[in-house]
Amino acid sequence: MSNKIRFTSQDHLITRQNRAEQEFLAAFAVEKPTFEQPKVVINPYLINPLCALVMFSTQDKVASTVTIHGKRYERENITHTFAPATDHFLPVLGLYEDFANTVTISLPDGRATTLTIQTGKLPEDVCRCLNIQATLDYLGDNIMFLTPAGKNLPTAYDYKGDIRWLLTENTMFDIKRVKNGNIITGSSRFCHMPYNCTGLIEINLLGKIYKEYRMPGNYHHDHFEMEDGNLLALTQDFSRETVEDMCVLIDRNTGDILKTWDYRKVLPMDKGGSGSQDAHDWFHNNAVWYDKKTNSLTLSGRHQDAVINLDYETGGLNWIIGDPEGWPQEMVDKYFFKPVGDLSKFDWQYEQHACVVCPDGDIMCFDNGQYRAKVKEKYIKNQDNFSRGVRYRIDTKKMEIEQVWQYGKERGQEFFSAYICNVEYYGEGHYMIHSGGIGRENGYASDSLGAFLDMNDPKNELRSITVEEKDGVVLYQLETEGNFYRAEKLPLYHGGDNLALGEGKLVGSLEVTEEFDTVPDAEEVFALPDSFHEIFIEEDEDRFVFHGKFEKGTLVMLCLENEGESHNYFINTAAVIHLAMCSGAFLEKDDRDVKIHVSKKGLHGIFKVKLIINEKKYQTGVTICCP
Amino acid sequence: MITEITEKNYDSLDPSAPKLIEFYSKTCGPCKMLSFVLKDISKQKPEFPIYIIDFDENRELKERLGVKGFPTMLFFKDGKELSRLEGLKQKPAIIKAIDALA
Repeated sequence: MSNKIRFTSQDHLITRQNRAEQEFLAAFAVEKPTFEQPKVVINPYLINPLCALVMFSTQDKVASTVTIHGKRYERENITHTFAPATDHFLPVLGLYEDFANTVTISLPDGRATTLTIQTGKLPEDVCRCLNIQATLDYLGDNIMFLTPAGKNLPTAYDYKGDIRWLLTENTMFDIKRVKNGNIITGSSRFCHMPYNCTGLIEINLLGKIYKEYRMPGNYHHDHFEMEDGNLLALTQDFSRETVEDMCVLIDRNTGDILKTWDYRKVLPMDKGGSGSQDAHDWFHNNAVWYDKKTNSLTLSGRHQDAVINLDYETGGLNWIIGDPEGWPQEMVDKYFFKPVGDLSKFDWQYEQHACVVCPDGDIMCFDNGQYRAKVKEKYIKNQDNFSRGVRYRIDTKKMEIEQVWQYGKERGQEFFSAYICNVEYYGEGHYMIHSGGIGRENGYASDSLGAFLDMNDPKNELRSITVEEKDGVVLYQLETEGNFYRAEKLPLYHGGDNLALGEGKLVGSLEVTEEFDTVPDAEEVFALPDSFHEIFIEEDEDRFVFHGKFEKGTLVMLCLENEGESHNYFINTAAVIHLAMCSGAFLEKDDRDVKIHVSKKGLHGIFKVKLIINEKKYQTGVTICCP
Repeated sequence: MITEITEKNYDSLDPSAPKLIEFYSKTCGPCKMLSFVLKDISKQKPEFPIYIIDFDENRELKERLGVKGFPTMLFFKDGKELSRLEGLKQKPAIIKAIDALA
């Protein structure tokens, strides 16, 4: 059997995008494209195949307008007028796939240039729209952005269900448009299983990354832009034995962590557990919302079936929305609400996601409903269950709660999502309910999370259903293949700067990866590990990721060595049971496949990578450079 | 000093003496790693008794002690379990638990 190690060393996507931008700007300077014959670059930032950049100069400073023609009718056209300029760099967004798109550029003096921009086919496994009920009158310029919950890609669908935007990078979790018009979402860079990525990325819809905000405890699930532009983000401290139980405030300019909220300080870790709770992931924080009126954070904890509220300044606990069964009586008396109003229609939320504070202080969330009880004997099977969007009115003086709206209970298991999903508040009576985690076996709601379903079995299916309701009337429904973490309705263009030229930046920092201070006795051999292990090392600018296949129970340690020092990292080959898998982006099909990320922070020099497998230490032939 | 024992001779151990009992499995990578950690600790604290027990072959004892997985380390003094560490741990955490028995 031959032995082989795969190794790649690639610049960060930001660096590659910087280079691509420099190249087209240099070509622009040399070619001096005119309005009549503009320069067109398709997918200028490498990760969005459904966009282009049109470049030209005009003598006078004028405002140019771009029109992406609809496939069918003129009223489908997407039009945007940019700020006046002499050098024009116009993002063309929302191109149809595998299509000769007609794009018109026009100037205020009436001149127009019409271009044909041919796009290619999208990847075969892209998630397609299966059904859509929508009108142009309702959606206007908006399209529906869905963020992946697995190895699918971030994708946006228009009113006909056509894909008009897609990133070929598996960016993760929440997606939000921030005040400057940019988008902030999770990076696609793996750090820790099951789904922790390096941090947040701020991008435009061409796919250009302006900043990656790296976080020592990584990013998961959700973030929120504060009034001053700083970012709340969900994270954890990997030096502890628990996860998904911290929130941080990130400086928008430097990426530095300015403030931390630690829920272990205010909640018991072994009380009120949902059906998915374990000691490691005891809270499972999947959403954060800042409310200025009360200067507080509202946080959703799936594994305690609880939406909690903390004082922004002190981190002290204000209240808990949730079924009080199983919580200590003194906490029930102090923090929990008593249901009032029409109790025949009242349900608590279970394993919920995406808490939202409405302008009047009401609390909304997506009530997944998984287990729908606090004790095992009362757990409800998924096929007898329901998921829904729900809005509660709370009186924090009387500690009373009233359910004032819900959508989804009536749809039963057909709309059931055991995990992920979100709701949006657009205005009074106008909401979005995104049930993006539907998994079915034989037509019934599966008891497995979508990420674990075997999609080679034709009886299994993953679905995502996004509904918008206004005054009790459903005005929009999108059903797609696959599972999608969240939905966000946005127009492609915004009133700010749709493209800012200049170098993207990596800010903040990764952690110093924990080393193992004991090194097992192993005989060093001058050979590569057996090819069975499928060793693959991906080096990036600020870290590397080691991949390998090992039988369960194998002793494995990754060693970085040079003449002066060594650094050793234990690789766990034991079976790990994940009770949550909100994104399966990093999940391997074969559970013998393991991977670890090693940050270069704290490492300086050039290191040989070696590998202890049981009693032998193997060479890999790979060297890692840490500046 | 590290000694392998079984449930048959567990009850003959001096109940009052401080000790560490580790449940391991031959099929577990973290347990293999922990064996090297315990060897290091044993060199550092040669007088402190460390007993290792095969999780898979001593089912009655693991149930009696409420051990659910491996590796699991139980720290005893005066016949009582004072603390427990589950999963692979580094030397400082284990030494801290041992020192707490003093």
